[in-house]
Amino acid sequence: MKDRIETALATVFGAIFLILSVVVAVETVARKLFNFSLQGADELGGYALAVGSTLAFSLALMGRSHIRVDVFHERLPRRVQAALNWLSIAALAALGVFLAWTATKVVFDTLDYGSTAQTPWATPLIWPQSVWYVCLLVFALVAVAYAARASWLWVSGQVDELNREFHPKSAKEELKEELEDLGTRRVSSGGPDGGRS
Amino acid sequence: MSPVIVIAAFVVMLAMMLAGIPIAVAMAVVGIVGGISAYGVPFLDSIAPVVWGVQNDNLLTSIPLFVLLGELLLRSGIADRMYLALSAWLGRLPGGLLHTNIGSCALFAATSGSSVATAATVGTVALPSLIARGYPMRHSLGSLAAGGTLGILIPPSVNMIVYGSLTNNSIGQLFVAGIVPGLLLTGCFMLWIWVSSVASGKAIREERVPLAQRMRTLRYLVPPLVVFGAVMGSLYFGVATTTESAALGVIAALFFVWRAGRLEWGVLRTCFISTARVSGMILLIITAAFILNLTISLTGVAEAMTKWVAGLGLSTTGLLLALVVFYLILGMFMDVLSMQVATIPITYPIAVAMGVDPIWFGIFIVLMCELGMITPPVGMNLFVVHGIRPDKGDISDAMWGALPYVLIMLGFTMLLIAAPSIATWLPGRM
Repeated sequence: MKDRIETALATVFGAIFLILSVVVAVETVARKLFNFSLQGADELGGYALAVGSTLAFSLALMGRSHIRVDVFHERLPRRVQAALNWLSIAALAALGVFLAWTATKVVFDTLDYGSTAQTPWATPLIWPQSVWYVCLLVFALVAVAYAARASWLWVSGQVDELNREFHPKSAKEELKEELEDLGTRRVSSGGPDGGRS
Repeated sequence: MSPVIVIAAFVVMLAMMLAGIPIAVAMAVVGIVGGISAYGVPFLDSIAPVVWGVQNDNLLTSIPLFVLLGELLLRSGIADRMYLALSAWLGRLPGGLLHTNIGSCALFAATSGSSVATAATVGTVALPSLIARGYPMRHSLGSLAAGGTLGILIPPSVNMIVYGSLTNNSIGQLFVAGIVPGLLLTGCFMLWIWVSSVASGKAIREERVPLAQRMRTLRYLVPPLVVFGAVMGSLYFGVATTTESAALGVIAALFFVWRAGRLEWGVLRTCFISTARVSGMILLIITAAFILNLTISLTGVAEAMTKWVAGLGLSTTGLLLALVVFYLILGMFMDVLSMQVATIPITYPIAVAMGVDPIWFGIFIVLMCELGMITPPVGMNLFVVHGIRPDKGDISDAMWGALPYVLIMLGFTMLLIAAPSIATWLPGRM
């Protein structure tokens, strides 16, 4: 289930930036070679970031990739670790809710003034902002759900499970993921030189 | 705003970070609490436009694009083959494959932003042959860990984009400024390997590879060089903005992935997930950093700190040396990105007020971050190279192996302070 959601979100994320790359590259080459500009590739890049980055917040959360310093963490007693792990996810959830709340303000202001972008396209800002807003809401929801899970584990006394699911990702784990991918790369390409030499 | 409050707030933020609270949260909390205590609740109203402003900033769009570019070359196996080509060319030097380690890392650095991925890929290709050929373990691990740090100095570098966006400097100039120091530092590393292996009297050299075969391996170097050329060429000659150059790089990388027959869903999916995680992490931290920056600029923290430091009567060189010590200590405990975003809002205005060139200071900060990657106890690259060694030795091997490189980098920093034009000459010609 989590895998499927992750894949779906990552596909949207990847598609946004692949399409953006094509549009921007075509625009850049056309502008230099044929003196022809689509105008607005910059603007599009801004909107791509607004949507892509907020989607990525959720993906980073699911992959436990929001950085935490773990130098002292491992040396603490397990109850203290659990408390810090709970505090971290609760604080991330609070940040998620806070960002969604500020976005609400932005969206309402835009609606009140009917703001448009200061660009040749004069895009009504509510279009990109509503997608951005939804992505931030998703991030807040996912973070709150994780925080609820952590709270439940804490209340029901499952301290070790809480530590297992919410501890900071160490360099060792990151390396393990890297090496697993390296393994599949080697197998599918038939040796380090891709079976070409 | 008195310096005491500022330093206290900074210490609280560091304490939260070291306790393991997510970096982004620690920064946002200090920013929000600081802002509210200075201006009351209305301060919150001024945050909203900042959040939209950061997340709609076309310059920052280059971050996910550069991350994606590196992922594409890495996951498709294009980067793995570079090692083969370089070992054929550099293996004859005294020190043999150790040069290949440094060279591959440097070239890898020119395309990828992730130091874990760089050290892991080069390390797993390199270590088995290094062991089979009898290279001392410490030297092998040290060269891999140190080589991996070159990634953030040699452009394109996500860390330079972070510096540029926090301080409002040209990313193009920063990238170009990284080229000469990056090449020089690579050269210093190789010179050290050469000298130390000749001096040890047991210099290992690889067999001579026939020229025809060496020429054939050159084709493995084409993809990284073309991608690097597309990105840096378009930036240097002013053809493209940072984000445009990143997009050109992504398209070039896609072409080579397709040519290598790896343009398939499995590869793309891994690239997308990995890119999203890394960019999401970076961009949340940047969003938090801008909230903190808002508080810092509204409350005049930078001016207060600048006045305070000026009152200490330090010379510019004295200040820079103090900063070297400060970053060296901080780098022992923090990872690169956290250290950057936590300190730049304070150290940058002070340095610039003391007459330090903003582009030069960016290179200086990146060098300090590189040091942090190989200084114990928290040197990311030390853990990584230790984690991939096939025999289970002690992590102290990696630490001792990296020590000469720490000293070389400190020496190089002194050189950069004495001759700032190493960093400022090339961007000055743009």
